[in-house]
Amino acid sequence: MNDELSLLERIQQHDQEALTEVYDLYFDQIYRYIYFRLHETDAAADLTSEVFLALVVALKADKPPRTSLVGWLYTVARNLAADYIKHKSRTVPLVDELIADDPPLSDQAHWTQLIPIMKQSLRKLTEEQQDVIALRFGQGLSLAETANLLKKSIGAIKASQHRALASLARLMPEVDNE
Amino acid sequence: MNEQFESILDECISALQAGIPLEEILAEVPDYATELRPLLYAAMVLADPNPVLVPTELKTALRSEYLKQVSTLPDTKRPTLNEKAQAIYHIIRRRLTYKIVLNDLITITVTAILTLTMATLILMVVAKDSIPGDLLYSLKRLSENVQLLLPLNESRQKELQQTFNEQRLTEIEQLMQQNRVAVVEFSGVLERKGEKLWIIEGYAVLLPENVTIEGQPQEGNLVHVMGLLRANHTLVADTISTK
Repeated sequence: MNDELSLLERIQQHDQEALTEVYDLYFDQIYRYIYFRLHETDAAADLTSEVFLALVVALKADKPPRTSLVGWLYTVARNLAADYIKHKSRTVPLVDELIADDPPLSDQAHWTQLIPIMKQSLRKLTEEQQDVIALRFGQGLSLAETANLLKKSIGAIKASQHRALASLARLMPEVDNE
Repeated sequence: MNEQFESILDECISALQAGIPLEEILAEVPDYATELRPLLYAAMVLADPNPVLVPTELKTALRSEYLKQVSTLPDTKRPTLNEKAQAIYHIIRRRLTYKIVLNDLITITVTAILTLTMATLILMVVAKDSIPGDLLYSLKRLSENVQLLLPLNESRQKELQQTFNEQRLTEIEQLMQQNRVAVVEFSGVLERKGEKLWIIEGYAVLLPENVTIEGQPQEGNLVHVMGLLRANHTLVADTISTK
């Protein structure tokens, strides 16, 4: 926390070393978050790059992050991901089409085939639920960290997580209980 | 109930993330197993063990582009204490031109005068009903004296003096009603002149041994009395002078 604060203070002074440190520290984290939202490698990489370029632009405009650097980076990432999803017209196969020819899911070899189905299903969640899932499962953040980044209570994040998993479970093929 | 389930769900997710098999987790919470199973199953698929990473080449290229942009940032070093002091000095110096100082002085003076005038006027209104011994009584007398100093014609001056003297007599009445001790003064006709007791304007005035009598007041003369009104309503003269 103190490191983040000191980093924040240094980037406010346009310290180039600190800005390099920020990039190396948070690039993968922000990329994973955006990737979890988009499931497109190239787009996620481009948007991640845009997040950091936005930081430079903000510094040039004398509007640097004031209180939380990580919070600021995630907010920009969320906005960029949301814009991307909203504006890009894509033709993606439906979940039903993806699972139409799937063999029984009890076979471990087909486990990985579920991942694209899950990715497709994620897009059907609300934006907040997608955020919660991306941060909790894509980033491995705790409930408290997720709540802090999304500026919600832990209770609200728990509820959102529950609803999101319930929706995803409904969209997944039948679970093999064996 | 829902809140409790959400907490159990979260604990199970943590257990899953810690690598505990799904069936073992569900065995710990048999009452919720049916409800939890599809949710934890979804959570297992979400926790992709092999996340897709940015290709190294692309990452290097993006980093170079970022660092290129960073290098264009202007320097914004924090001002030192000395630089801050100099900046303050320059601001003060800029403020210290003859015209600005004069303007400031005029503004301060006018504001002070207006404030004082307003305060005095308010106090005078409040002091109007005060009687000797009250906190604001001296202000009431000051205001009367100022009015008497104004260049007025003789009849108006006399009228004012008479009004103020009537005020003094009313004040004595009020003091007597409240049984208060106070230094009082008033003007009135000397109606009867005894050895130690004079009747002036209807009031019995005691003359102690050290009383100062200015002039030679005679019955029927207008005299000015300064003295002490006691709680028992007796008025002890300090000075009696002919007007």
